[in-house]
Amino acid sequence: MSWVFSRPLYSLSSKDQNKEAQYIWEHESLGGIAENNNPLPRPVIGLLVLTFFTAMMLTMPLYGQRPTAAIFADYVTLMNSSSVQKVLDDKTLTHAESDAKAMKLITTSLEKFESPYNFQREQHHITMNQLRMVAPQIVELQRKGVDLEEYTIVGATVAKATFFSIQPDGTIINKQPWWDKGYTIAIWWFVIFAFSIIIAVKRLPHFTWAPDHTIAH
Amino acid sequence: MLKYLLAKEEDIPQGSAAIFFGVSSICWFIIGTGLGSFNASKLAFPDFFHNVYWLQFGHMRQVHVHAVIFGWIAMAFAMSMLYITPALGNTKLWSEKLAVWNCLLYNVGLCLALALLWSGMTSGREYSDHIWPIDLYIAFVMVVPWSLNVWMTILNRRTQGIYTTNWFFAASMFMLIIIFLIGNLPEFFHLTGLNEAYMTWWFAHNVLGLLITPVAAAITYYIVPKVTGNPLYSHRVGHLHFWAIVVFYSTPAAHHLMSSPLPEWLKSFASVEGVLILVPAIAYICNIMLTMQGKWTMFVTNIELKFALTGVFLAIPLNMQGGFQQTRAINWYIHGTGWIVAHAHLALLGFSTFAEASAVYYGMQVLLRRKLYSYSLANFHFFMLLIGFSLYWISMTIAGLIQGAAKIYEVPYLDVVIAEHPYMIVRWLGGTMVFLGNITWLWNMYMTARVGTVVPVGRLPHELAYER
Amino acid sequence: MAFREYKIGCIMFGIALSTSMFVTIFLPGLDISRIGSTEEALKKQLTYGWESAFNYYDPFLLGKDKPIKVVLTKDPETGKPIDKTEAYVFTAGTHFPDGLTHDNIMGTKQLALSKSKGLLAQATEKRGGVFLVDVDVTTGVPYVEFATATKGWQVAATLKAADVRIHAGSGKTMFIREGCWWCHTLLPEETQDWQSFGRPPVTGDFNGESPTSFGSDRKGPDLLHVGSRNSSREWMTMHFFNPRLVQPHSIMPRFNYLWGKADINGKVIDRQKWDRDFMAYARGDTPYPPAVPIPARNSEARYIIDFVLNLK
Repeated sequence: MSWVFSRPLYSLSSKDQNKEAQYIWEHESLGGIAENNNPLPRPVIGLLVLTFFTAMMLTMPLYGQRPTAAIFADYVTLMNSSSVQKVLDDKTLTHAESDAKAMKLITTSLEKFESPYNFQREQHHITMNQLRMVAPQIVELQRKGVDLEEYTIVGATVAKATFFSIQPDGTIINKQPWWDKGYTIAIWWFVIFAFSIIIAVKRLPHFTWAPDHTIAH
Repeated sequence: MLKYLLAKEEDIPQGSAAIFFGVSSICWFIIGTGLGSFNASKLAFPDFFHNVYWLQFGHMRQVHVHAVIFGWIAMAFAMSMLYITPALGNTKLWSEKLAVWNCLLYNVGLCLALALLWSGMTSGREYSDHIWPIDLYIAFVMVVPWSLNVWMTILNRRTQGIYTTNWFFAASMFMLIIIFLIGNLPEFFHLTGLNEAYMTWWFAHNVLGLLITPVAAAITYYIVPKVTGNPLYSHRVGHLHFWAIVVFYSTPAAHHLMSSPLPEWLKSFASVEGVLILVPAIAYICNIMLTMQGKWTMFVTNIELKFALTGVFLAIPLNMQGGFQQTRAINWYIHGTGWIVAHAHLALLGFSTFAEASAVYYGMQVLLRRKLYSYSLANFHFFMLLIGFSLYWISMTIAGLIQGAAKIYEVPYLDVVIAEHPYMIVRWLGGTMVFLGNITWLWNMYMTARVGTVVPVGRLPHELAYER
Repeated sequence: MAFREYKIGCIMFGIALSTSMFVTIFLPGLDISRIGSTEEALKKQLTYGWESAFNYYDPFLLGKDKPIKVVLTKDPETGKPIDKTEAYVFTAGTHFPDGLTHDNIMGTKQLALSKSKGLLAQATEKRGGVFLVDVDVTTGVPYVEFATATKGWQVAATLKAADVRIHAGSGKTMFIREGCWWCHTLLPEETQDWQSFGRPPVTGDFNGESPTSFGSDRKGPDLLHVGSRNSSREWMTMHFFNPRLVQPHSIMPRFNYLWGKADINGKVIDRQKWDRDFMAYARGDTPYPPAVPIPARNSEARYIIDFVLNLK
């Protein structure tokens, strides 16, 4: 299996190999069926590239993944602040109105500060009711002094996140690394696939050659 | 059939086993869709036959699934492989006698497996419901002899090349055995907990993705060039399809459990791979469509192509749904709803059933050397299947969207049940149409064997005009 | 790969398939197996026993080889009143769940505590015994206590002292056999569902459970916490006998055949007559529906009702 690298995107086979392949291709009858040697049409190549980028964009772990408890820690602090409590205690408003107003107050005041969680907060809106349910659990975790990024909000509970990242010292923490493991494997998976399939196809006779099907039958 | 069990290999006419598998598959199709229709009636009208305890929905639901998958789909695959593999290698089947025995033991095993499921003896794992002794029977008595015949026929071929269809046949049989043995590890070794749950779906995903999808595609790779007389559009696109199936279809099993506490990285990985399932799909559909160049009238005039191409057309929405519905962004809305039921039927009753029906129609004519008895009946069958399936698919998709909406608005579940009622009735109607259509198919095949025009040696059935 | 070189193709195929299995089975298996049991998982295992689907000890899925969950308000040994306690009674020969016999399923911390404080090492399947699930106050780690060793609670005495016997283990076998999981999931989703169906499970919640029977296709509500939403035994009994009695639009099948021949008082159940009476009620001929028989103590109906009510 000698490979020719002079024009790698044209062909990876030697002239002799191609000649042999072409001879077999044209002279044997596969049960009355023949195969052509056409390339993938350009628009279809475009579609495949689009598919890959769609796959990456649509499943980027930030979308639809459960939020970490860390992004709501400031919400909890603000919820317990006097200005927000005043809104929540406002007897002139209905519960729904005061909840919405208080949440608005929290989000607008947090927008003013630079935070690594701003993007995630935009992705994961939380209602006052849900915040009330998770707040005591977050406070409890803060009291214990654990890293809130190791916890996720699942419904009304704050649960240990299902991330498993191995640290240099061998311990495992439940924190998502910036390179998500699954996402990284997926990229390599596709790259290796694309590389192998290009090699496989470039070993065939070049697509400018069209087999003559009149020889076999 | 029985007389061939003990006959000498050379005394058994070539293609006997394929005919037996073909007839069995049609019979199982009728049984499977009949059970499906009956089950659907119970979802629309739960007190229908409520006093007959052995007709309980919970006992019959899995019998329908396995009668259709192992009876209809797998046996139609066996039939197709047993006549297509030798034809593509310019040789005869490796062992006709083994295949005849295989067919007998397949039917016996399936009856036993379904009877046990019906009685409630189950492993409690969806798609791998069979108890482990039956799993071993399926793997070693039903699948291994079948695979041996396929592999040995390919090894003993009289051509240097192996045509694309045969790559898929050989590889799928290998993957099926591996999946059966690995996917059932939780039963063999009593694995528990989340591992068990994940392996259940690893099995379910791969048995569909690595057996049914590629084999159904491989069948159309044979039927379309053979019937149209056009060469396959591209050998190299076939490569892309094949390798993409192996690489991208075998990986996204975790996308069936997107809302469970599996490792988050696994869900991300499965989700990306799930969208990349579109790679083999696009390659496949483009290859078949371009093969049809210049012969599109045959889509209307030729019954085999009508079935095969409808299957290919249905593969488009199938893969669009399949690719995107499993991403986190969409999955939460449709997970566990009727949408998924509709999607599963789009894969099995839509894409693969139409592809197989074309192979069974074509194969039975070639093997019996008789022209199909009635084109009108076949057309009737086609439209009963197509309209029945469409009613089912559309009604269950709508029902699924209703269920999804109910998740957001926290609707009491009973209101969802009430809202779904009309769609459950339509689902029943659709399923019943498929069932009735299949009965006409069996009749048509019976009459073909009895009185169909004899096809002269050297001619293909579709080249002959219909007499009636 | 030059034209039609099948040996290379086979090797590539083998590499692709095994890499795929390495990434999708081996790697996640490592992560999943690393998680120890939660309190929920310990309780579930002790309730459901070794295996709820087809197995060597219960091939026909009759609910055999199962522990019995009991609720105690007095000490079985001394007879003194105690706080309401849930105990899990394994009669002699009942098989232990995998969590008690496989260290990695229980979890390292859980196992250490179960051995030191719970005296778990003394428990054998042959003799059976009574188990409790406790949580260590300082660390919050759950562990299993073998009450037969720590408190001297014997099987017979515990069953006798029990206020309630809950056959939820046998009930799960019914749940599997009758195909309840074809329409009801046991997995509230992490996104929207929890408002209606309660807390979604976390990773360690399933340890040792087999089968997990999440279900995939909902035609009815999720049941993982149904016992918290509706704890009425009367309602459940009527609903299982004929769902249309309490939910006129329900599409659930009737499970009246799980009652067996006779009810709790030994009275033979005449289902034909019950149907006629029910139809008379449905037409409006009679003002009340016929009474639903109370299931016998060892009937399959009792098992499944216990199972469903126990899903807290």
